[in-house]
Amino acid sequence: MPSRLTRLGCSLLLCLVSNLAWADVVVVTSAQSAVTTLSRSELADIYLGRNSRFPGGQPATPVDQRENSPAYIAFYRHYLGQTPTQIKMHWSRLIFTGRGQPPHSEADNETMADFIAQNSDAIGYLDNAYLDDRLQVVSID
Amino acid sequence: MAETYEAQVVRALREIDTTLRLVRYSLDARPPQEVLDELHQQGMLPPTLLFEVRISDAEGRTVASTHPQPAHQPNVTMVQAEGMGIELLGSGEGAEQPLAFSRRLSEESANPQGAVSVLVDGAYFVSGYDMDTLGVLGVLALAEEEGTFLVRRTGNDLFSGEKIDYEDLLTDNDGIGQPALVRSSEWDGVDRYLVARQLFEFPVAIVVGLSQTEQLDAAESMQRSYYLRAWLVSLAGLVILALLGWLSWKLQQVQAKVLEERLDHARRAEYLAFHDNLTGLPNRAYFSRLLTRGMQHARRYDKQLALLFLDLDRFKAINDSLGHDAGDELLQEISRRLGHSVRESDTVARLGGDEFVVLLPEIIEQEQISHVANKILAAVSAPFTLVGQEFRITVSIGIARYPADGEDEQTLMKHADVAMYHAKEEGKNNAQFYSEQLKSDSLERLALESSLRKALERQEFTLYYQSKLDMATGRVIGMEALLRWQHPELGLILPKQFIPLAEENGLIVPIGRWVIYTACRQNVAWLKAGLPQMSMAVNLSARQFLDDGLLRDIKGALQASGMAPELLEVEITESMMMVDMQKAVGVLQELRKIGVRIAIDDFGTGYSSLSKLQALPLDTIKIDGSFIQDLLNNAGDRSLTEAIIDLGKSLGLTIVAEGVESAEQVAYLRQHACDQVQGFYMHEPQPAVDAARSVQERLDSESIP
Repeated sequence: MPSRLTRLGCSLLLCLVSNLAWADVVVVTSAQSAVTTLSRSELADIYLGRNSRFPGGQPATPVDQRENSPAYIAFYRHYLGQTPTQIKMHWSRLIFTGRGQPPHSEADNETMADFIAQNSDAIGYLDNAYLDDRLQVVSID
Repeated sequence: MAETYEAQVVRALREIDTTLRLVRYSLDARPPQEVLDELHQQGMLPPTLLFEVRISDAEGRTVASTHPQPAHQPNVTMVQAEGMGIELLGSGEGAEQPLAFSRRLSEESANPQGAVSVLVDGAYFVSGYDMDTLGVLGVLALAEEEGTFLVRRTGNDLFSGEKIDYEDLLTDNDGIGQPALVRSSEWDGVDRYLVARQLFEFPVAIVVGLSQTEQLDAAESMQRSYYLRAWLVSLAGLVILALLGWLSWKLQQVQAKVLEERLDHARRAEYLAFHDNLTGLPNRAYFSRLLTRGMQHARRYDKQLALLFLDLDRFKAINDSLGHDAGDELLQEISRRLGHSVRESDTVARLGGDEFVVLLPEIIEQEQISHVANKILAAVSAPFTLVGQEFRITVSIGIARYPADGEDEQTLMKHADVAMYHAKEEGKNNAQFYSEQLKSDSLERLALESSLRKALERQEFTLYYQSKLDMATGRVIGMEALLRWQHPELGLILPKQFIPLAEENGLIVPIGRWVIYTACRQNVAWLKAGLPQMSMAVNLSARQFLDDGLLRDIKGALQASGMAPELLEVEITESMMMVDMQKAVGVLQELRKIGVRIAIDDFGTGYSSLSKLQALPLDTIKIDGSFIQDLLNNAGDRSLTEAIIDLGKSLGLTIVAEGVESAEQVAYLRQHACDQVQGFYMHEPQPAVDAARSVQERLDSESIP
C-alpha cells in the first residue's frame, strides 16, 4: 500500500511537472481534414488501435513521435493519461497476439508537421511552436 | 492454452527471423545505417516501439541501429553457429532484459563479418499473460536449451535468466494427449499443473503453468460459496418456515379470539334473547320453553304443575303519573318480591309490560297454590317508596293447573289469563282459579265483543226513554234517553254490561253518536206528533266526552233534526270531569255556547268537593239514586241530599232526584224544594212508543180533573 501511494504521488507529481512543461503539445490534423474536435475517449480509441476511423466515418491514421520523446511523453500523459511503459505493454500484447500494429512514428515535430500536412487522414501531435497554416488544432474535450 | 501460447511464440519468432533475413538480404554497399533507415521508411521493419534492429561488426560493436545507442548498451555476442541465435542481453536475474535474436551476416564464411539482430524486451513474449486464466501464481515462460529462462512471468512479475533443469522440465511434460501433471516448480517452489514444450523450429521451449493451490482455491472457494449459498438458502427456508409457523400461530390466535368473541356475543345474544333486560327474569320465549319442559316432566312423572298469571293493578296509572323510570323501578322491585315469595324450584318470568308469570312445578294440593298466591298478594301489596313517596300497588292473579285446566302450553296460558281477568272483575288484589264457568263467561264476553261490532250496522241498538217530572206542576218536562241493546240471541242487554267493553274497544264513539242523533230526532218527532215540549237528556261516556268529534256530532244532530239546542241536555259524571279537568271545562263551555244544557249525573258518589262545582258551567245536578233509596231511613243520606239541594240552589242550578220509587220520597223531596224527580215511581224506562203513550195518558188524566 505505501508503495502504491508513493507511486501515485510520483505520478501525480510527474503529471504536474509534465503539464507545466508540456502543456503546449497540441493534437493536429491537416488543414484539409474535417476533423476539428474529438473527445478524449475517441482520441484514445484511435491511438490505442481500438478504432481506425474518426467519429465522422473517415479513416484515421494516428501518428506518433519517437518513443520517449518529450512530445510523446507529454501527449500520452496529457491526453490519454498513460505512461510510456503502459503504452508499450499495451502494444506488446496486441502485437504478440496478432491483433494490431502501433501507429507509424515520426522522428520529431518538424517531420510530424510535414507528414500531417500531406495526409488528410492523419492525426498527430506536436509542440505548438511548430504549428503552421497547413495544420489545424483539434480541440479535445 | 499451451497450444495457443506455442502458436503465438512461434509466429513471433518467425516474424523476427523474417526481419533478420530481410535485413541481411538488403545490405549492400551502402552504409548499413542507410539501409536500415530505408527499410524503416518503407515500413519493412517491426515497430520501433518494441523492436530494435541492430547490425554489429565482427567484434560485436554496433554499427547501425533503428534506435539511438546509449553509452553502455550491451553488445550482442557473436553468433557462432548457423541459424538464429538467441541471447539474453545484460546480466543478473529479475531485471527486464532485452532478448537479442541474431543471424550472422554471412552464413558461408567461416570468418564472421558481423551479425544482424532484433532486440526485444522479454516481456513481449509473455505479454499474453492473462490474470483471469493463469491467476496470480501461474507461469508463462520461454526457456532456452542451455537451461535458462529467457523470460518468465508470474502474475505481474517478470523474471529472466533463471537457471533450470531443461531436460527435467521437458520430460513427460508436453501435455499432448495427457493431462498436465502437478509438479513443484524448481524456480519458486510453487506446485503447478505444468506444460513445457520444445518448439519445433527454434531452440526454445514454452512453459505454461497453473498454480495447483490457486486452482484448488478457486474450486474450494466455489465449493465454499456453494456451501454458503446452500446454508443461506436453508437458513432462508428455516426463517420462512418459522415465519409461516408464527403467522399461522397468529392466525390461529386471531381466529380463536374471533371465535371467542362470537361465542361471547352469541351467549350474550342468547341471554338477551331469553331474558328480560329490565328485571333479568326469563322472558316470554324462555318461559315458553320452561313451561313446555315442565309439562313434559309433569306428564312423565304424573305430576301437576300450576301456572300463576299476574297482572299489576293500576300500573298504567303509576307509570303515567310517576314516569317510566319510576315504573321500571317498580317492576324491578316487584320482580325481587316475587322471587322471594316462591321456592328455588319455582320459576318467575316477565312476559312484558306489567305481566308476570309464576310456574310452580310438582304441586300436590290446591292449598299449596293458594298459599303461594297469598304470599305473592301480600308481598306485592306491601308499601313501596318511589320517588320519595310511599304508596301501594296490588296484583290480580289468575291460576291454571296442568293437566286439569289445559294440557298444552297455549291453553294453559289462555286459561290463566281468563282467571286473571276474573280476578280483576272480582275487585282486583285477589287470586282466582280457572274454572269451566269462567271459560263460558269469557266466551260470552268474546261473543259479546264480536257481536257488538256488528250491532250498529244490524240496528240492534235501541233507545228507551224515562221521563222527568216537574215537582211543582207534576208534568213531564223532559225525557232521558237510555241505550239498550236488543241482542238477537241474548235478548235485551243493559248498558253496564256492554258499555265498558265499548269504552275499551272504542266503539262507544260511533254508538254514542247514534244515540245523540236518534234522541234528537225522537224529540222533534214527538213535538211534531203534538206532545208538549220536553227536554231530552243524553248520557255521555268518559271516552265519548273527551273525543274530539263530540261537538261536531252534537251540532250535526241538532242541525239534522232541527231540534232547539236548549232542549238538549248532556249528562256527565263527576269522574269524567276529573280525568282532565281543564279539557272538560273547555268542552262544557263550548257546549254552553251552542245552548246545550249540562247536567252532572250520579252526583254524590264521586269524591269531588262540592266547591269544585262552582268552577264548572253546569245547569243541572242529578242526585244519585242510592241516596234517594235510603232517604227516609238514613239520616246521613238525608243531610247530604239536603246539602246538595241547598248548594245547587245557591248556585242557581236545577236539582233532579233520580231513582225515586215511592210517594214518600216524592213528598220529602218536594218539601226540600227539589226541582224535578225521575224514577220507577213515575215511569220506568220505556221504548219510544210506550213513553209517548205514558206522557199522553198523564196529560189526559191531568186534563180530566
